[in-house]
Amino acid sequence: MSAAQVASLSAEAVTIEERSPLQIVLNRFRRHRLAMVSLVIMTVIFFITILAPYIAPFTVQELSVNKYFVPFGTVDEETGRVHYLGTDHIGRDYFSRLIYAGRISLTVALLSVIIAESIGIIVGAISGFFGGIVDNVLMRFVEFMLTIPQLPLLLIISSMLLRNEELIPIPIPVLDFVGGIMLLDTRDARSAVLIILILAGFGWLAAAQLMRGMVLSLREQTFVEASRSLGASNFRIITRDMIPNAMAPIIVDASLGLASYVVAEAALAFLGFGIQDPIPTWGNMLAASQTYMLDRPWLPLVPGLPIFLCSLAFNYIGDGLRDALDPRLKL
Amino acid sequence: MTSYFIRRILQMILVVFISAIASYALLNLAPGGPLAGLRQIQQSSRFQITEDDIARIRAYFELDLYLPFRFTRWLIGEPRGPLVIGGQQYFSDLTVGCRRPVESEVLNDRGQYEFVVTGCNEYVYMKDLVGRRTSRGVLLGDFGLSWRLLRDRPVADLIVSRLPKTIQLIGISTILSLLIGLPLGVYSAVKQYSRFDYFFTSLAFMGSAMPTFFFGILMILAFSIIPKDAGWPYLPPGLSESVRGYTIPVIGDVEAGSIKDRILHLILPVGVLTIFNIAFWSRYIRSSMLEVMRQDYVRTARAKGLGERIVVLKHALRNALIPFVTIVVFTLPGLFSGAIITESVFAWPGMGRLYLLALGDYDYPVAMAIFFILAILTVIATLMRDVLYTVVDPRIRLS
Repeated sequence: MSAAQVASLSAEAVTIEERSPLQIVLNRFRRHRLAMVSLVIMTVIFFITILAPYIAPFTVQELSVNKYFVPFGTVDEETGRVHYLGTDHIGRDYFSRLIYAGRISLTVALLSVIIAESIGIIVGAISGFFGGIVDNVLMRFVEFMLTIPQLPLLLIISSMLLRNEELIPIPIPVLDFVGGIMLLDTRDARSAVLIILILAGFGWLAAAQLMRGMVLSLREQTFVEASRSLGASNFRIITRDMIPNAMAPIIVDASLGLASYVVAEAALAFLGFGIQDPIPTWGNMLAASQTYMLDRPWLPLVPGLPIFLCSLAFNYIGDGLRDALDPRLKL
Repeated sequence: MTSYFIRRILQMILVVFISAIASYALLNLAPGGPLAGLRQIQQSSRFQITEDDIARIRAYFELDLYLPFRFTRWLIGEPRGPLVIGGQQYFSDLTVGCRRPVESEVLNDRGQYEFVVTGCNEYVYMKDLVGRRTSRGVLLGDFGLSWRLLRDRPVADLIVSRLPKTIQLIGISTILSLLIGLPLGVYSAVKQYSRFDYFFTSLAFMGSAMPTFFFGILMILAFSIIPKDAGWPYLPPGLSESVRGYTIPVIGDVEAGSIKDRILHLILPVGVLTIFNIAFWSRYIRSSMLEVMRQDYVRTARAKGLGERIVVLKHALRNALIPFVTIVVFTLPGLFSGAIITESVFAWPGMGRLYLLALGDYDYPVAMAIFFILAILTVIATLMRDVLYTVVDPRIRLS
């Protein structure tokens, strides 16, 4: 190779374009085709549910008297509005209820994940960082909770709480906030908040174990040692060094968690121990449709497919995030 | 090893005990309960319920006893009366409950009136417990009497009548899914990146994302409702046997309660459970096979000229089964709770459905008994998993 040829290579040609960690992750995520499709689908679903009041032709509780189970696309003669998916057994518009239900179901899942992961991060970080007796007590408790059969306990607790809604005092602003997101009044929001608390109350256990494991391995890393030798406080080490570096598995866990919360909420409602009928959720719509499916076989598909779609999409997104954030990561 | 076992068994007892307390407290601390409807009845003129009636009903449900006494009577069947030591009675005047509580309407901080117990007119003393009906206690296997579902019949009868149905469902589906799932997972791992592997793993992935209840409904649609409407052979959509005979095209007449009838009813619920187990287990065996196939001893086996068949089945599979066996053992009690949903979709009269009915109908002795059994099963399975680890893999030591 002659000297002239080397000189002709410009600096730009041999330098790799600098990319931030975020860009690298996004690029890798984009390669997971199903995850990208899922992301698009979920974005669309989220937008539809956010815009529910503008898209839905009817309100949730509006009854069309004497028009039960009208076929798809029936036009309401008085107002000219269309029942895109027909009406249910007491004449409520199926399509409108479906998208309001999506708003409620997805909000329950989102808030549950946020609460569960936050508690999990805090408990796991404290447990892993301080070790000793704190760690022992916290982790024994988590292990104990995980040995109890989950679904039966979930059913006992929710059947108890939903019958005695006043048992746990929930501050009115919290109810108003959640009710505001779900477009429910304060009284109806209470059962939704209870379901969120129940789901999050079980969900943080796995997150805490995950976080603790991460913190235990991070504790031995040299950059933590460096922080400490520079005189950083425990609080600073945990919040600045530990938590940001342990985020990758937590984010993956959260997106897989979304899938399981959507399903769990629907399962509780389906079994009759979740959010109850006048408030629409995919789960209780499915339960109601099961009664009538002998004559109307397509009826259960309407609320059932969104549950499956969301669960599948969140799973694929979690899978894609896992590949993107850390290919060696295995949950 | 011995000390490890003693410690684990003590832990087990503690876990079972705490979960018993927890479930008991959950169901008994909350207001309402079996007396919830009484106050409404009381207000209508036709069914005048006197104070005596209420006291009697409260005594029937043991609601007139204080919680600690109620709990120990449920758990071990004690106290049954005053402590008798050498002919001398002790504690016979100890207050154990309140027969006629004074309730008054109080304005609470939300501005509503509610009934609050403010005092007691007539107490229950230890000596009153003599001769009262009581169970021998849950720890001795006596779950007491059912409140609602089969009133005054032992809970054990109810559970024993439902248990075979659930075991039938779980047993058949577990065996089937092992028989189908294992070969599928192994084949998928051996042919990694083949078209079959891609197809199979994505199917299993979708299966694990599919909610059980929706899948059950889809199965009912696909194999029961739609074929029936079309005049094709179909499967019964629910229950474990039919009430009267029916005719299915091609298959012919089916007599109610016959073996043929029961098998037809089994197919759908067993199918749903089996497919879910396959989706879960075959993914597990696949990844565990892939892990093993990379090991040195598999390369050694190939290098010394063994056939692929022997390498896969003898050297790889045996080692891949180690983690798999433990996961199967551990998921077994989970299957009982998983069957709750499947049983409810197919109206299958098993334990899971009984549990739902009991919770919905305030039949707390039944609900608590089932929960207690499930908790014990799970704890035993956890112990068995840890022990199996050492049995199948001598490299792991318990300490």
